[in-house]
Amino acid sequence: MELLLQTLINGILAAGIYALVASGLALAVGVVGIVNFAHGEFSMIGAFVSYLLFVSAGIDPIISLGLAAMVLFLVGAITYYGLIRPVLAAPELNQMLLTFGISVALQNIALLVFGADTRVVSTSYQGSTIALGSISFGVPPFAAFVLSVGLLGALYWFLGRTRLGFAVRAVAQNRLAPGLLGIETQQIYLLAFGLSAALAGVAGVMLSVMLYASPTVGFAYTLKAFAIIVMAGLGNLRGVVPAAIILALAEAFVSTYVPGGGGWVEAVFFLVIFIALTWRSWRVP
Amino acid sequence: MILAGVLLLLALVLPGLPLGQWRAFLLDAAQFAFLISGLALAWDLLARTGQLSLAHGAFFGLGAYAAALSAPALGTIPALLVGGAIAALSSLLLGLATLRLQGMYFAIATLAFSEVMRTLVLKSQFTGGSIGLPVQPAFAGAYPLGGYYLAVAVLIICTVVSLLLSRSRLNYAMAATRQGEAVARVLGVSVVRVKLVTFMISAFLAGLAGGVYAMKTLFLSPYDAFGLGRAVEALVIPIFGGLYTTTGPLLGGLIIVSLETWLRLRIGEGYLVVYGVILVLTILFLPKGLMSLFARRKGASHA
Amino acid sequence: MRRVLVVLLVVLGLASFSLAQTTVRVGVLLPISTVAGKAALNGVQLGVDQVNAGGKVKIELVVVDDGNAPAAAVPALTKLMTVDRVDIVIGGLASGVTFALSGPVKQYNPLFLCIGAASSVVEQAFSDYGRFFHYHPWDYHNVAAALGFFKSLYDDGARRVAILYEDGPFGSAGIQTYRQQLQNQGYTVQAEPFKSGSGSFTAILTRFRSFRPDILYWIGYDVDALPIAAQTRQVGLEPKLIYGAPPAWPLGFEKNNLSNDIAGMTAWLPSVANNESRRFVNLYRRKFNEITDEYMAPMGYVIALSLGRAAEAANSADKDRIAAELARVQMDTPFGPLSFKPSDTGRTRFQGFNQSIWLQFQYLEGSRRPVFPANRAARPLRFPGNY
Repeated sequence: MELLLQTLINGILAAGIYALVASGLALAVGVVGIVNFAHGEFSMIGAFVSYLLFVSAGIDPIISLGLAAMVLFLVGAITYYGLIRPVLAAPELNQMLLTFGISVALQNIALLVFGADTRVVSTSYQGSTIALGSISFGVPPFAAFVLSVGLLGALYWFLGRTRLGFAVRAVAQNRLAPGLLGIETQQIYLLAFGLSAALAGVAGVMLSVMLYASPTVGFAYTLKAFAIIVMAGLGNLRGVVPAAIILALAEAFVSTYVPGGGGWVEAVFFLVIFIALTWRSWRVP
Repeated sequence: MILAGVLLLLALVLPGLPLGQWRAFLLDAAQFAFLISGLALAWDLLARTGQLSLAHGAFFGLGAYAAALSAPALGTIPALLVGGAIAALSSLLLGLATLRLQGMYFAIATLAFSEVMRTLVLKSQFTGGSIGLPVQPAFAGAYPLGGYYLAVAVLIICTVVSLLLSRSRLNYAMAATRQGEAVARVLGVSVVRVKLVTFMISAFLAGLAGGVYAMKTLFLSPYDAFGLGRAVEALVIPIFGGLYTTTGPLLGGLIIVSLETWLRLRIGEGYLVVYGVILVLTILFLPKGLMSLFARRKGASHA
Repeated sequence: MRRVLVVLLVVLGLASFSLAQTTVRVGVLLPISTVAGKAALNGVQLGVDQVNAGGKVKIELVVVDDGNAPAAAVPALTKLMTVDRVDIVIGGLASGVTFALSGPVKQYNPLFLCIGAASSVVEQAFSDYGRFFHYHPWDYHNVAAALGFFKSLYDDGARRVAILYEDGPFGSAGIQTYRQQLQNQGYTVQAEPFKSGSGSFTAILTRFRSFRPDILYWIGYDVDALPIAAQTRQVGLEPKLIYGAPPAWPLGFEKNNLSNDIAGMTAWLPSVANNESRRFVNLYRRKFNEITDEYMAPMGYVIALSLGRAAEAANSADKDRIAAELARVQMDTPFGPLSFKPSDTGRTRFQGFNQSIWLQFQYLEGSRRPVFPANRAARPLRFPGNY
């Protein structure tokens, strides 16, 4: 019983950061219609922003969260304006190759600048723990979870309750014919892509605290983020959190209850996706 | 078409050309370039039905492992065919399960398939598991150019199949399926059969290329053989070269792999930055890939 | 008479001139965009600088990237052999890549100075190849070194070991042997695989909690170090020792409080107190303006120095004469004495280092200190540690 509860908590906490990375991606895919392979590299930049501020000025990653969000919003906006906008009307495959190229370039620029080393920041709270009876969990994953939920709540509120958010949803649901993109639509795309990158940046700062900063830090999470948004249904922002929780719970249960399960985690994650996708496709006539 | 023929002819006679001291290096590098181009051609076949696969790295890996494991008992050529057959069989099962998935949904399902396959190979004993699997060279090393000509053969087979398919009735069915399955059905296309047959042909070719790869590297490990990088390369090349064509993936593959090799030798550290930038520039300025260069010239000469 | 003398002098002069000009071209084949590969390359270049400064032989390097992948490494080796026409190659860091190189190496027959590739699968692949000099210990040496440490921990009262190993070739290669040998020593063992870089260990560590391990032994990469240290605390596992065996540790890990008391195994630390090590550290700092923790850097340096010695003794650039001299080399290195003997399994003829180069260290107050074996320890192991 105790183990069950602990496993549930482990799974749900892990879902927080999955959901954060995936929501950013869902914005790019759902609103702008861009399958952004470089999303993980935005997280990587966020992780390095946090790392650099920490080693150069001793700034705590908590403060870097806001800074990284701003930096990444800018990076996202520039990327959108300079590279994504020209291919909005192009076939999906072209857009994918473009973002793949951006991803390769960014990752290797980081490799040139920082080298392949794994770098860590040190804070007083990285190892701190909350213990409730025999159940215990870490403060950083818990804080990351709370922050993720908060940010996603703000995002949903923005999309559901504000005029601008309404416009974003309208654009997402009623993609105009290519070539008829009005200026307003363009601005909304810019906003959505910038927000998407900013969310990735925030996630990156969290990764720098909980894992490390390195040129490849974004990769593992992007793959899973893609899987999560597809499981949620493209363009379905609200589905992202449940999908992330289901997958994270599946991972936690396999690791905890199956002997040697740690080696099967990835397979189970993707197996759940595969079954969900195919089952859904056969159920709907 | 003519260009494709010239390229294949060049591949055939390359070992006989006076290449001087670069000969051995070129033959080695070319062999890998041929296999990757073959894989790209195979991927493009499936893309013609509108299905975006990320499983081609897995077909490549399955073919590689199956060929490596069966070669000691069966000999080189039958083992390669077994590799292709296993890949085709797995694609049939995958294709049946994913018949109704499209676009990104299909892509992620195929990605999930490759991750699961890799884990299975990683966890199995008979595949050497995570330690890896030593492989015998082609024809037990009896012919120095044996591996090279196998790679050329794979490339020729992929090219010919690609050409034949684009001239067959199946091509119209594939294009119709790509443009809309409902419409295709109305036109009397058996969408299910078209998709499955194409998937199997495509996976067979990918598996074949994987087998020859194994016999060249002499060693397989799950993270290398089922690498996601290779699946992505299989998709990058046709887009770079020109989708739904034969010459596009062929030329694109040879150029991209040579470019990568050349950059690695010339620049060394950080060469992939240049590689990434070239991909970006290609999409921005040649949206239809390299083939648009030729198409434009053709158009101009007509005018 | 005078004319004869002049001729004689000229001949002598030419002879000594050509003596000084023994130039050896050496190919270097390393994954230069990885941390270990870059460190190894730096080390090789540093060693070559030393050799060339000696003035007796001149080593020229041709560096190529092996891309850390067989498909890139095989053509790269072919280019070294046929275009650059080197007779000697330094390389072979990752085991999988090195295995793939065994084919072309046997085809072109270079003198192959292997810097890494600990897997005994590689030993098998090169077993019939006479020009193979393997500097790095084999995996069974690594196992032996770690087991020596575990034996002393058993004497300190440790009984249960939880092993976390990454599911690639690095982590899984020795796992069965480890489990077996630890059980022979009297330990109870539970082992769980994980995917390196995933960063999620809470679930596995939770599973370990009911096992109440004395030692948490993890075999993975630098990316796993911080998540394991943090999450071990977060799930309240409270082992008496966290012992890690990654090939490298993260930069800045020693400054992180979570690293305190964590033990690990390495072949070398910058603080190792022998003359060769100090010399290496000074030279490295002078050339690169920094110091490295990577033992691959001194490994590359040792390879270059030993090659230089052999070339000087052979007084020739001929690979077989150099190989013959290399087989006789006896020198002090940052790792301790180096000489080549047949490997323990008898499969290869020239094995450089063995388990004796490994030392166990512990992160203590912001730096890594050797704690085992006793003759190399700078201070005693803190056991139980506080996690």
